[in-house]
Amino acid sequence: MKGPSQTEIEESLTCQCGCGLTVHSCNHLQCPSAIPLKGEIAEHLAAGQTRAEILTGFSSTYGEKILSAPTMTGFNVVAWVMPFLAVFVATVAVVAFVVRWRTRAVPASATPPVEDDVPTAERRARLQAELDRFDG
Amino acid sequence: MIELGSLALQLALLTAIYGIVVVLVGAARQRSEMVRSGRHAAYAVHGLVVLAAVALWRALLTHDFSLEYVASYASSTLALPYTIAAFWGGQAGSLLFWVLILMTMSSIAHLQNRERNAALMPYVTATLLVIAAFFLSLLVFITDPFERLPVPAIEGADLNPLLQNYWMMIHPPSLYLGFVGCAIPFAFAMAALASGRLSDVWIRTTRRWTLFAWFFLTVGNVLGARWAYEELGWGGYWAWDPVENAAIMPWFTCTAFLHSVMIQEKKNMLKMWNMVLVLLTFTLTIFGTFLTRSGIVSSVHSFTQSGLGPFFVGFLVMVIVTCIALIAWRRPLLRSENDIDSFLSREGAFLFNNLLLVGLAFATFWGTIFPVLSEAVRGIKITVGPPFFNKVNAPLGLALLFMTGVGPVIAWRRASARNLRRSFLWPLTLGFATGVVIFALGYRHYYAVVCFSLATFVLTTIAMEFYRGTRARQSLMHESPAMALANLVGKNRRRYGGYVVHIGIVMIAVGMAASSAFRVEVQETIERGQSFEAGPYTLTYTDLKNTDSPHVASMLAEVQVTRNGRPVTTLYPEKRFYKRQQQPTTEVALRSTLLDDLYVVLGNYDAESGLVTLLVFVSPLVAWLWIGALVMALGTVIVMSPTAAEQRVLAAALAVEERGLEGAARVVR
Repeated sequence: MKGPSQTEIEESLTCQCGCGLTVHSCNHLQCPSAIPLKGEIAEHLAAGQTRAEILTGFSSTYGEKILSAPTMTGFNVVAWVMPFLAVFVATVAVVAFVVRWRTRAVPASATPPVEDDVPTAERRARLQAELDRFDG
Repeated sequence: MIELGSLALQLALLTAIYGIVVVLVGAARQRSEMVRSGRHAAYAVHGLVVLAAVALWRALLTHDFSLEYVASYASSTLALPYTIAAFWGGQAGSLLFWVLILMTMSSIAHLQNRERNAALMPYVTATLLVIAAFFLSLLVFITDPFERLPVPAIEGADLNPLLQNYWMMIHPPSLYLGFVGCAIPFAFAMAALASGRLSDVWIRTTRRWTLFAWFFLTVGNVLGARWAYEELGWGGYWAWDPVENAAIMPWFTCTAFLHSVMIQEKKNMLKMWNMVLVLLTFTLTIFGTFLTRSGIVSSVHSFTQSGLGPFFVGFLVMVIVTCIALIAWRRPLLRSENDIDSFLSREGAFLFNNLLLVGLAFATFWGTIFPVLSEAVRGIKITVGPPFFNKVNAPLGLALLFMTGVGPVIAWRRASARNLRRSFLWPLTLGFATGVVIFALGYRHYYAVVCFSLATFVLTTIAMEFYRGTRARQSLMHESPAMALANLVGKNRRRYGGYVVHIGIVMIAVGMAASSAFRVEVQETIERGQSFEAGPYTLTYTDLKNTDSPHVASMLAEVQVTRNGRPVTTLYPEKRFYKRQQQPTTEVALRSTLLDDLYVVLGNYDAESGLVTLLVFVSPLVAWLWIGALVMALGTVIVMSPTAAEQRVLAAALAVEERGLEGAARVVR
């Protein structure tokens, strides 16, 4: 199985210099945080550690705030689930509202589909009249 | 002049409070002279704020270092454009700038509506003055821009070097115009709720204001991205920093509002939803200002943190509670007058487009505040950085890109199988084919492949719309193709201007996907005369030069660039050292083409040995991001330009409204 890349791990960690970027993206080339961290990552990769092992190691050494995204465990799961759950619930709510509207109103089957692109002679004449009116 | 500025702010606050009281009492008692006095108070506040702004600008330009603000954000060697920009470089100045823009817009809105919207205008005046009074209170009691130092400084501390960039001359004003512009539709929405005049008149009246705000939110965000790209030197343009998030959230909701108002205008539906969106957009602009000022979340952009957080929270709570109460009160009047026939319709498409846009705003909001939430619940502060936002927002963004192709061309009410086939068969086929070709060429970044497929799908739907419309005019009006196209756009600016905006969106999506998925990065430490490869380019470092001025010292590396042995350009990546702030900055050297950007950063250097570390990025198609933004701006200008037909519709809607309001109209005139 292919191991994690240096870039992948660098992108998973936040630089501690205050730049707000990941270790990989830190814009301070002589950064006192990013450079030692990159060295540490290289050592872990050379030792054959997996992505999870490396990130767990950094998390226990520097605290969870070093991870650039929340873990998929415990309360952090809420961070990942909530946006999609919100969109899903909102979609269900919209569908429910629309279905309620439709059952309250005229049955949908009674409404003819819109054939707004059929170029009948009648439609052409109407379009011509409309264009004349706007042009005028 | 300083004392005059300070006095002007205090008088402005008192006048705003007077205006709020008198206009609300006047509206309640139908006293025309009181309503008129309230309107005049709004003009007076504007005048006083202008006076205060002139006083601060004068202090900056004359280097009056007895003023704490000038001593903190300017210096005698600071270039003139940045001295002018220092007005919004610090906290007090940026808040004054907020009020200045707000009251300028307030005066324009009042002048536009002198003879119309009689029932709405008293509440519009009151709402705008409440917002102004809040910011003026902060300026008078908390963060006074005219505070004197106990002992005048000999020299100023200078503007933050990161802000000494030409994009910073226009990025903050653009974003402020966008943020503050949202206050005008908000004020009209509050007025519609307070007065009970909930037809679509307030929406039609503020349509251009909403577009204006949206235009500047778009421009402001893109200019911010451009500033980050050129100034921060990390090869990217968007880092999902909390302050960037604060700027993009109102853009999402404002975009949703711009789409859903079309449903209200056409079908008299979604009245409550539109109200929620406009209120949410304004609330998010205040939330954005709060994020920048409070320091609640750490951000590289928070140049001016302070203890203003609680005041903003208080104001936000007041706004939200008032909005909820007004909406609950007017709920019976906000019911839809029509029903949706089918999900396979333009109404259905716009509903899902709205869901996705609000979903993106929510996901961004959620990620931004989650560290604070985590600390409150678990006692542990975590980081929610770019990987989270990219993973969560990318699928939502791609779904939105798909809807960008569907929404404008699917039929109203209920699309027939024929309409679907005619509108989407070719776009879907070409979109799918694009994905297959890119995949076959060996590109395996799945999000990028999907993005390119969707881009083709959307562009094909738009191209077909232009083609069919032009052909129809050619056939019916016997016009030349160029004339038919010009008239097609000119006579239906809202629709075809919207398509132009969508083309810009597609360009931005393609630029973002390509530059993030296929970027090449190389870092090399080399001596003079040595070369290295970066993507298709060969870079040869030839010289190291230094320049010096009283304000800034700088070291430049000379880098010759060739491609396939042919000279391309010479670049000068630079490291600057700003003497007053004792702060180094990186000045990127950039060669931009339609195909790729060659981006060179001078990381480190040894002046004696001439050894340099160069960081190089080759980002494909990134120029299309900026071109897309220009196309979006062009499309917005087309949409905003007035047409006679639109003016007739607004006049008719106002006439209907005014007929029922003759009593109210008499009160104001």
